[in-house]
Amino acid sequence: MRRLFLGAALSLLLFAGFGSAQRVSVLCSPDLAWCEALGPAFKAATGLDLEFIRLGSSEALARLRAEAANPVFDVWFGGTGDPHLAAFNEGLTEFYKPSSWDDLLPSLTKSVGETYIPLYTGALGFVVNEGILAEHNIATPQCWADMTDPALKNLIAMPDPNASGTAYTAIATLVQIMGEDAAFDYLAKLHQNVQQYTRSGAAPGQLAGRGDVAIAIQFMHDGVKFAEEGFPLTVIAPCEGTGFEIGGLSLIKGAPERDAAIKFIEWALSPEAQMVAATVGSYQVQSNSKTPVPAAAPDLDTIKLIDYDFAKYGNPAERDRLVARWTDEVFPQPR
Amino acid sequence: MSVRSIPHARTKGRGGSAAVYALAAAAAFLLLPFGRPGRPFLTLDPAFRPWNIDAPWLWLLPVLALVAAAAALAPLPTLRRGNVLTFAGAGAFLVGAVWLVTTRTPFGMGALLSLCLLVVVVGYGLSLSGRVRADPFVASSILFTGLLVLLLVVYPLVTVLQAAVVVNGKFTLAKFVATLQTNRFILIENPFTPRSEGALVRYFALAGLVLAFAWTLWRRQPALRVVLITLGGGLAGLVVGLMLFARGAVPSSLTLAVIAATVATLLGLGFALLGQRTRFRFVKASLGAFSVLPIITPPFILAFSMIFLLGRRGLLTFDILGISSNWIFGIPGVALAQILAFTPIAYLVIQGSVAALDAALEEASTTLGASKWHTFRTVTWPLLRPGLANAFLLTVIESFADFGNPLILGGDRNYLATEVFSAFAARFDQAEAAVYGVVLLFVVLLVFYAQARWLGRSSFVTVTGKPSRRAFTRLPGGLEAVLLVGFAVWAAVVVALYASIIYGSFVQLWGVNGTLTLKHWRDLTNAGVPVFLYTMRIAAISAVPAALLGFLIAYLVVRQEFWGRRLLEFGSMLSFATPGTVMGIAYILAFNTGPWLLTSSAVIIVLSFVFRNMPVAIRGGVAGFAQVDRSLEEASTMLGSSSFRTLRTVLVPLLVIPIVSGLIFAFVRAMTAISQVIFVVSPGNQLTTVLLLGWVEQGQTGRAAAMGTLLIVSMLVVILLLNLLTRRRGGITGEVVA
Repeated sequence: MRRLFLGAALSLLLFAGFGSAQRVSVLCSPDLAWCEALGPAFKAATGLDLEFIRLGSSEALARLRAEAANPVFDVWFGGTGDPHLAAFNEGLTEFYKPSSWDDLLPSLTKSVGETYIPLYTGALGFVVNEGILAEHNIATPQCWADMTDPALKNLIAMPDPNASGTAYTAIATLVQIMGEDAAFDYLAKLHQNVQQYTRSGAAPGQLAGRGDVAIAIQFMHDGVKFAEEGFPLTVIAPCEGTGFEIGGLSLIKGAPERDAAIKFIEWALSPEAQMVAATVGSYQVQSNSKTPVPAAAPDLDTIKLIDYDFAKYGNPAERDRLVARWTDEVFPQPR
Repeated sequence: MSVRSIPHARTKGRGGSAAVYALAAAAAFLLLPFGRPGRPFLTLDPAFRPWNIDAPWLWLLPVLALVAAAAALAPLPTLRRGNVLTFAGAGAFLVGAVWLVTTRTPFGMGALLSLCLLVVVVGYGLSLSGRVRADPFVASSILFTGLLVLLLVVYPLVTVLQAAVVVNGKFTLAKFVATLQTNRFILIENPFTPRSEGALVRYFALAGLVLAFAWTLWRRQPALRVVLITLGGGLAGLVVGLMLFARGAVPSSLTLAVIAATVATLLGLGFALLGQRTRFRFVKASLGAFSVLPIITPPFILAFSMIFLLGRRGLLTFDILGISSNWIFGIPGVALAQILAFTPIAYLVIQGSVAALDAALEEASTTLGASKWHTFRTVTWPLLRPGLANAFLLTVIESFADFGNPLILGGDRNYLATEVFSAFAARFDQAEAAVYGVVLLFVVLLVFYAQARWLGRSSFVTVTGKPSRRAFTRLPGGLEAVLLVGFAVWAAVVVALYASIIYGSFVQLWGVNGTLTLKHWRDLTNAGVPVFLYTMRIAAISAVPAALLGFLIAYLVVRQEFWGRRLLEFGSMLSFATPGTVMGIAYILAFNTGPWLLTSSAVIIVLSFVFRNMPVAIRGGVAGFAQVDRSLEEASTMLGSSSFRTLRTVLVPLLVIPIVSGLIFAFVRAMTAISQVIFVVSPGNQLTTVLLLGWVEQGQTGRAAAMGTLLIVSMLVVILLLNLLTRRRGGITGEVVA
């Protein structure tokens, strides 16, 4: 018996060997390949080490809330802006004004104010598998209005607003284009054509790429990425105009390695750092106006963007109201 | 004569051991820091040396420990020595624990060691004083396991529930009511359909009521049973009605669990019987290997592979059969994935009971003239029931808690486990997540209760120490044919799924571009292999305590009588029943600050694995103990062995198969777990499955397939090695897993 308990005590001591190291800890919300590319590039530029965990922006916010009393992470990199705004309003993050603030696209900095730092932007659109459409003799839809064509039944996938920020951006966009009641009538008609609502914002593009559906409603840069990987997809910007996201960068309040975190933020906003994204297939438009736009990226100048009201639709109460309305009035309809 | 009338035949020398533990506790207090300033465990921060801590009463701890040591050595009557050890030890323990909790200081190594040692001292005290009618080993073990379950299972759940019902420091149930009324939770009357679902559900409930009542009259049941069975029939009708007509997470998860658990248990039983009794040696050999394959795979990888094989553009469905259907997204697809994943669990649990069946009993039955079917129904079946009940319980709980399969294949149905995650992660709503968690727990409690009722108090002793190695009666011919066909279909599906994972890792783009390439494997060596090796290490570290603790708890629960025995069993099963995502969040909330600060370390991952995987070892152990005759232990105890010695020299060798199964299971489950750890991974402590799910979600299918292949192959090697090892050592029965 003595041996048993001593063994138990010894193994507890063994665990103690694991410790946390002194390096910048990044909560990373964009594409995993981008997250993975950050570390080596940051090390080459500054000599500092970087560790990251990738969590989607909603999960990341949940994680930050849970750890509020004793933060683990120093920086929150990327992910759609609404959770960054919520984190700022809840005091989980603090605003840090980077030295490159004036170089950032003015449209972005004006939209977010001094809450979080804009990191990139990207527009919502249709990601289309034209081969599947051709089998059904359907023309490629160019407008939101085309998507309610009964011929498209079971051929559309979009994310679930209850699980994905991308889907909420779509609903908020439609509400801003059509007005709320007309937007919900539209969503109910769209519902008849939707084969499934996915949990992840990027999943519809994969379904379309594999031919499980023909059209995905999601961010266009994700579609470009899938197309670059070899999926037979084309990316369409809706003719009535479309909404967009602002990816955020935030300094965690109470960051264990605050100095390293600030170095990371300064670096992450430099054109050199932002150019890393396109090399690993992330084709968002980067926030620094000096960062060259990659050829494959959707050109935001040719896309009709709506004047997205981030203050109103980023408000959690408005978000909850719209998502609840969708859940009660659209989702239960039989199809 | 009962063992319990002579619980401590040898009390001489025991005092000496207790003194060693008490002195060691005092020494740990003096030599190691009692607290620590931050996350690192091994600090020697002088601020947390006892003489620098501004709390003079903390010195009561070493003083009381020394009192206990003195009492252990002094020539006192056993009873009084026991009392002093109990109260001095418990007092010292409380002093240390109260200091940690009131000052909210993270525990230091000194606190950890001295508190653990003091528990042993109290165990000696309780045993010597006769308060616990068992020897010191058993008494200490009860205390230890009880405290561990309290701290690492119950306390985190209490924390998360508290976070749910206490909003802004005030208790409120409004959130519960509001969540239960959303149509994500349950929607019976759908305003958008012409039919009335509410009325249909009521008709079903009524039909169940009437049918059950008619049955009770036909079988002439006594009045009380008439009422109970009629009500039960009504409830069953209601449940079936809900499963058929209602929407939302409750009906979806219920339907899924009923389908998946029933089919998985039946398949598990069929395969276990086939493995033991078929004429074909080839089937016997391949059975183990096939049924083990799905466990060694993270479920969502299998689900992912199913899309490529069975989806709208799937190789089998579209290219070969010409079907273009999305049936795979929704309950049918998830159910199939769960059946593939959980049948092996059922198989392993049932195999334990099947392996312990005694051929002599069946021989007796056939000699007395019973037919094969009659023998099966009246001899074999009752002996299999505990294993079946355990298998069913495990698969129902697994199905409810399963997170990966509904995530990939769920389509747009809601499921309780994924709603927990969505509520917490996507809607930022802790309270709502907790409501879903409570519902899941409630359902699991019902299952648990039903299992206890079904097993009843029958005794199933077949290992008696008397030799019995006769050939089993063969299965009835028809049954064997059906089972063989079932196994062939199963094997074909499994082979196809695995082949397509391996294929996917060697082509440019799985399902789109079939050009062969090694690109994904090159990617894997940079991005995946370090994480994979780290995960192996964590899983190995966690498997040993999980298996041993599980076996110990099974021993205590089955073989010892003490206050709180059922509570211990229930508490330890709770961590298994709790959906992984809720447990993950609970761990973060409970262990992020205060005395039990553990987050952002490998320790919290290891602990979450230990307490998540231990229940499988417990169920295996319980089923094993139920088949070992107590007379063996009584003989050992009568001859003067302590219960630890009896456990080690008599029971462990007899039950080596359940223990090794528990060990393998714990390791493999740790390698393939996802739902709980997705929240506790931290920078530098990344795990394979979390990385893999990220790749799957991001569409990096080739890399994900390569990682999946690596995981599958290495788990296979581990299991084969362990299996060889146990074969060489030899046990009471031959086959373990493969």
